Amino acid sequence: MAQGQLAEAMGVSRQTINSIENGRYTPSLPLAIALARYFGVTVEEMFDDQ
Amino acid sequence: MISNRCQAVARSRWLLPLFCLVLGGVVLLASWLGGQLVAGLYGLAVLAFFGLVVLLVGGRSETVRGLTTGRDERFAQIDLRATAVTGLVLITAVIVAWLVEIARGHSGNPYGWLGAVAGLSYIGAVAFFRWRG
Repeated sequence: MAQGQLAEAMGVSRQTINSIENGRYTPSLPLAIALARYFGVTVEEMFDDQ
Repeated sequence: MISNRCQAVARSRWLLPLFCLVLGGVVLLASWLGGQLVAGLYGLAVLAFFGLVVLLVGGRSETVRGLTTGRDERFAQIDLRATAVTGLVLITAVIVAWLVEIARGHSGNPYGWLGAVAGLSYIGAVAFFRWRG
């Protein structure tokens, strides 16, 4: 999925999605939950480094 | 309804350029009243140019978009940090200027007053946000 599409679905900029992917920005709890719901996984599965 | 309208205005790409133009007009008026019309025209031209750059570059630059239309949670955090850094730089400059003025044998004003306003604002803001939770 393109970062632009995901950004539009989440209501944030493409750069924000890029920063989250690269670990430069930690999303707020509502955004983290929205991302996890979007991909059908838990927040832990989505953001756990291990 | 009013809140939605305010949000729409705040997200408009024209807001910052228009603000620049209005500020330029105010600078021109103040300079004209002070008998410095040329300086006022120069100020208006600089601000109008800045507004035009913001309008033209806004579509490509994330920084400019963040200042105008596209402020998401990450940019809100960036904005908060940038505001804090700006405040620290200003406070440092005010304190240094105040000390220099005192060392030169002057009263230290208006830097003393500015420092006092900044200090009281900070304490007031901390108390307010602590109360808001």
